[in-house]
Amino acid sequence: MIALPIPDPEIVARREEIVAALKRLVPDGIVSEPAGLTAYDGDALTAYRQAPLVCVLPKNKDEVSAVLAFAHEMGVPIVPRGAGTSLSGGALPRADGILLGFGRMNRILEADLENRCVVVEPGVTNAAITRAVEGDGFYYAPDPSSQIACTIGGNIAENSGGLHCLKYGLTTHNLLGVEFALPDGARLRFGGKAPGGEGLDLLGVVTGSEGLLGVVVEAIVRILPKPPVTRTLLAAFHSVPDTGVCVANIIAAGIVPAAMEFMDRRCIDAVETYCAPGYPKCEAILIIEIDGLAAEVSDGIARVSDIARASGAYEVREAADERERERLWKGRKAAFSAMGRLAPDMLCMDGTIPRRALPQVLARMAEMSNEYGLGFCNVFHAGDGNIHPLIIFDVMKADELERAEAFGAEILRLCVAVGGVLTGEHGVGIEKRDLMPEMFSEADLAQQQRLKCAFDSAGLLNPGKVFPTLSACIEQGHAHVKQGRMRHPELPRF
Amino acid sequence: MATFRVSSEADVVEVVRGARESGGTLEIVGHGTKRGLGRPIECDDVLDLSCLSGIVSYEPDEMIITARAGTPVIEIEAALAEKNQRLGFEPADWGPLFGAPADSATIGGVLSADANGSAAMRYGRCRDHLLGFCAVNGFGEAYKGGGKVVKNVTGFDLPKLFCGAMGTLGPLTEVTLRLFPKPSSAAIFAVRDLSLEDGLALLRRVWSSPIESTGLAFLNGTAFIRLEGSRAALDEKIAMLRSLSVTEFQQNSEGEAIFYNIASGRIAADAESMLWRVHVPSANAAKLVAEIQPTAWCADWAGGLLWLVSDRDVRARARAFDARPVQMRSGGSIPPFGLEDRVRAELTRRVKAAFDPLKLFNPGRMWEGV
Repeated sequence: MIALPIPDPEIVARREEIVAALKRLVPDGIVSEPAGLTAYDGDALTAYRQAPLVCVLPKNKDEVSAVLAFAHEMGVPIVPRGAGTSLSGGALPRADGILLGFGRMNRILEADLENRCVVVEPGVTNAAITRAVEGDGFYYAPDPSSQIACTIGGNIAENSGGLHCLKYGLTTHNLLGVEFALPDGARLRFGGKAPGGEGLDLLGVVTGSEGLLGVVVEAIVRILPKPPVTRTLLAAFHSVPDTGVCVANIIAAGIVPAAMEFMDRRCIDAVETYCAPGYPKCEAILIIEIDGLAAEVSDGIARVSDIARASGAYEVREAADERERERLWKGRKAAFSAMGRLAPDMLCMDGTIPRRALPQVLARMAEMSNEYGLGFCNVFHAGDGNIHPLIIFDVMKADELERAEAFGAEILRLCVAVGGVLTGEHGVGIEKRDLMPEMFSEADLAQQQRLKCAFDSAGLLNPGKVFPTLSACIEQGHAHVKQGRMRHPELPRF
Repeated sequence: MATFRVSSEADVVEVVRGARESGGTLEIVGHGTKRGLGRPIECDDVLDLSCLSGIVSYEPDEMIITARAGTPVIEIEAALAEKNQRLGFEPADWGPLFGAPADSATIGGVLSADANGSAAMRYGRCRDHLLGFCAVNGFGEAYKGGGKVVKNVTGFDLPKLFCGAMGTLGPLTEVTLRLFPKPSSAAIFAVRDLSLEDGLALLRRVWSSPIESTGLAFLNGTAFIRLEGSRAALDEKIAMLRSLSVTEFQQNSEGEAIFYNIASGRIAADAESMLWRVHVPSANAAKLVAEIQPTAWCADWAGGLLWLVSDRDVRARARAFDARPVQMRSGGSIPPFGLEDRVRAELTRRVKAAFDPLKLFNPGRMWEGV
């Protein structure tokens, strides 16, 4: 288990006073009773639970600024939260921190079709953006699996991806501008309906900053014209390494599918039991989707089919109609739920590797599974090398959580060792915080922390996430030592 | 004034450490093609990265390339062309605007200047393609940011910050970029005799269609549209273009040169007047041009990027159109970027200080003190 922070007793002792002050700032948006706070005691990294000191649900930008300014003045940590769907513990509250929830700021402010963008409040769900513009033939491309629940503010904080990033990019590639509140409540705009030409690309660097630099209070996202044709193939393989080779061959052929998803036998069996999508019984399948104009899609489908067969697929079938296409995707999208029925607990990893390393990494993970004595399955975005091994365990059984976490950590070390990274789309959060030195040197991490200090010298925004050690912002003369005590004594410093 | 011509990361570290000790400032240059861009600066010494050159690794199967910062862009493009790949942001060649020979930029310079071509509208700007980098900061430490895979959210996205930072955060030593397949067929079409409004409206219709055009420009009453894809896809796109344009169009005889010229700001290559690059919401572009009455102009990115020749400071008038002008060539009287408000200016200074607290690198190139 990763150690949760030791709460600052002085802040906890001032709880009543803090709650009373917040009630004056956001009269109808305070959750402070224990029963109410239970609803906010964690996110989708379910092994970790912690109720916040208090939860505040502002309904406009000015309230956000007022809460931040107050917390800054009082030296109270802030943990921002969208819908709480983070898989890395990004929205895990602190016992001595205010949880700043954006659920009530959920209005779509403007759909500007002429400029192909939508202006939204941060609490709007990802799926709601597409719903607002699909009648006009547009959609918002990033589609994390949690898209019916997750918010755009959370997507920006985590730089969320999804099934279709291979062709359409992550959140950062589809975000034009934000209005951003700094830790002291001051607000500024980065980007706009026409991004670029600003000098330093601060929009780029706050995207994916996991709530450590500030909070988004408004966003402008790019919408795309819906492709007229989408076709989906399923390729079945008798061997996992062949499947990896097929992925590499498709990419090397210069084809950019809209999505290319991998599932292994254990996962196929689980979803067949769960929702019967009609997958073949085999070692691994790829679901490959190509979209665009009719002729280019036909061309792509024909080439992908040939490559799949040449790479060892024993069966390649195309969804005959929209209903069948949905059925193919249903199995993929239900993979997490289906696996959840096999064991009480699950840990979802998220490394990215160079695509050529897929066969090697898949083989090594199977060995590790035996070494740790824990089952796992593979379901992932093969096209961009973003792997999601799901480790199944039972938290009630002796040391299984520890073994699962050790197994997961070894997978991520392997990802880094083959030239990849710790996280492709879920974020570092608390989950991968202590693995950061596997990928980054001390100098690399120090430079990132100096940037953190430039935005948040007092270290109040989402402390304890992303960085295994806190820098004290001393180099820049921003050291924030309150009454002779350092903040967050639980974390080592350099 | 000394020129330090470095050829390794260790050399760069040594030069920066020397500068820290002496308190001397460093002007960072590749081939020096865009020295005229930004505020004029006077530094104690020059850090010349032109010998820190060469492709470190090119993996066509991964669609990724890693090169040293001083590698000529044409060297990279030639290597990619052999494998039918390319840089998605289509680096723009701005050197000739400042008297440098064509095609002489380095990859580090292009990224630092945020010099994007017409295809960036379709594939994203260079900030969307720089996956990772190595650099040396003002503490004299070599470090890296980002990674070498296409999908990565580990730690802060420092590569974004370096695109367009004009070297003010320190010298890049190595960059890793994602690549795109080069379509097998391409054609450029011209729709002539269009008014400003009609021309830009046509480009926006194409931009909002599924054609996925890789070039939508407007110059002298003519809309230029670049379509790419497999042979079959191209025919289909041409048919769709026909349904979107009420005016007849024909294949453009100038070929690729038209997009090269527009993206490199060539409309004003000989003019003495001030040249502006303006980022503007496409639908506001026609109104902005009508308001400013430039002596010459052209549009890229379906109107989202304008090049204007105008002797007047266009900033005040641009604001009403939600537009962001950058002064590309001025003779030094007007700073390149608009003034930031107090909160933003203070944040910018703190970000600069996070990388370069002693203001060693290109000090004042973007704003005073940055």
